[in-house]
Amino acid sequence: MDKKIYGLLAEFDTPTQLVEAANKIREAGYKKTDAFSPFPIHEIDEALGIKRSILPFMVLGGGIAGLLTGIGLQVFVHVIDYPIIVGGRPHFSLPSFIPSAFELTILFASFAAVFGMILLNGLPQPYHPVFNVPRFALATREKFFLLIERKDPKFDYDETRNFMQSLNAQEVFDVEE
Amino acid sequence: MNREEEFINYNAPADLNRWRTIALGIGGIFSIVILGIAVFFPEQREQALRSWLLGFIFWGGIGIGGLGILILQHLTGGAWGIVIRRIAEACSRTLPIIAVLFVPIAVGVATHSIYEWTHLIGTDDKIVEWKQPYLTEHWFIIRAALYFVLWGIMAYFLNKWSLQQDQTDDFETALKMAEDLSKFSGPTMVFYVLVVSFAAIDWVMTLDPHWFSTIWGLLFAVSWALSCFCFSVALLAVLANKAPLNRILGSRHFQDIGKLMLALVMVWAYFNFSQFLIIWSGNLPEETRWYLTRMEGTWGVIGILLIVFHFAFPFLVLLNRDLKRNAKWLAATAIFILILRLVDMFYLIGPSPQIGMDGKSADFMNSFSWMYLVAPLGVGGIWLWYFFGELMKRPLVPINDPYLESAINHGKGH
Repeated sequence: MDKKIYGLLAEFDTPTQLVEAANKIREAGYKKTDAFSPFPIHEIDEALGIKRSILPFMVLGGGIAGLLTGIGLQVFVHVIDYPIIVGGRPHFSLPSFIPSAFELTILFASFAAVFGMILLNGLPQPYHPVFNVPRFALATREKFFLLIERKDPKFDYDETRNFMQSLNAQEVFDVEE
Repeated sequence: MNREEEFINYNAPADLNRWRTIALGIGGIFSIVILGIAVFFPEQREQALRSWLLGFIFWGGIGIGGLGILILQHLTGGAWGIVIRRIAEACSRTLPIIAVLFVPIAVGVATHSIYEWTHLIGTDDKIVEWKQPYLTEHWFIIRAALYFVLWGIMAYFLNKWSLQQDQTDDFETALKMAEDLSKFSGPTMVFYVLVVSFAAIDWVMTLDPHWFSTIWGLLFAVSWALSCFCFSVALLAVLANKAPLNRILGSRHFQDIGKLMLALVMVWAYFNFSQFLIIWSGNLPEETRWYLTRMEGTWGVIGILLIVFHFAFPFLVLLNRDLKRNAKWLAATAIFILILRLVDMFYLIGPSPQIGMDGKSADFMNSFSWMYLVAPLGVGGIWLWYFFGELMKRPLVPINDPYLESAINHGKGH
């Protein structure tokens, strides 16, 4: 083991095998894990013990920020900075502020959703060691992969490798750093 | 399991018979009270009929909204549509009783005892005079009959083909029926919304003959669909504990219908605000008067309550994923919205000018009557009695729908 190892990657043929194996590695106590599949598998979140995303709260925060910006901007412009009478209505006319405030709410919430998603996924990420395994390209087509990183406190090269082999994996690859 | 057993097993639970009796008892007593007052006490006649109208618009709206949801789910597909379909079909088959419940209003129009415009015909009221080609007693009644006929045609075919699908043994035929239902629903949706528009304008907007709003019809199409969704969720939550639906309904079905409730709560607020913003911006006396009445005193308080409890509160509550997946909590939210639906209808009907007020609206103390509380119970009891009867006539799920199995599996997923 002279090469630096990033982790171990196991290949599976079916999503069912992937979910079963993921359940076992979670039960074995591994934390730094990841799964790769050509299509979304809903059960995998639970199998790997992935917590629910905080993204909804980021979107809510973005929405509230947008609402306050929308109201604040219009109050500042129409009431404080340059009050002129439009259509005989008072300077502070909440009904007419609502459409713009609503639009900004949606805009900021969308920004929070898109950029929050990118941030939480750790993107942009131009390099990832798993691509050093040539067969990993099949993760976008027909194969299912499970990764245990070396950083995991329970990681021990031989033991982990044998354990992954015992999970009905087609093959276990060393992922070089 | 052979087909015959399956058919029997999917039938509605027998408890519904007891519910029917209770509904008919309550509905019968209160309806007799209200209609008795309308017949024997000429001074109270208008109030009795307006209260009846409130009950009719609320409960009839659930039935007619059910027809809209039926058309919608045939168009969009989806698991939520399959679990809600038999309730929506039963709602659409209540059209005969809705037409019967309309009779007191038709008689009220013919005898000039409910809508103020029946008294303004022939006076020097220029607006009502200009509306004469449309706003006459017999033409009002003919139009109402026409609406029921058009809705009836839609409901007739959707129910007929659905029944044929239940009875077929052949998968290909069942698939073809599903496609036919879907094709029929496209153009039908257009006509459905148009008919709802006209009906809402005739039955509710003309209470105030000097006022107009162009979004009124859409507002009712949305409100009635929301009412029916809330009603269906409450009913599904109860049926989910009993055979046969306990084998079918999953948390995800409730989540999907909860999302649609959230969407309709938002559309309700959006349309109402659109109407308000345009009238507020235009600031023209013939339009603003309607809102000025409803923003003063107790009416204004009710208006604020509607914004908070018909929009803000359900909106925030329905954002929660766990709540939508819990049948009991979602049903509690649905019943809460349903009560607010009735308040919303009262807010539209209550302040409208009464006969002899020359188009002026009344304040809350002079418009409120105990009959507004009793009449919805009367109309509702009779409607529910008929509805449960219709619901028991068919299995609670479309047993031969090609997508039934995937819809059941969908409910159990994440």
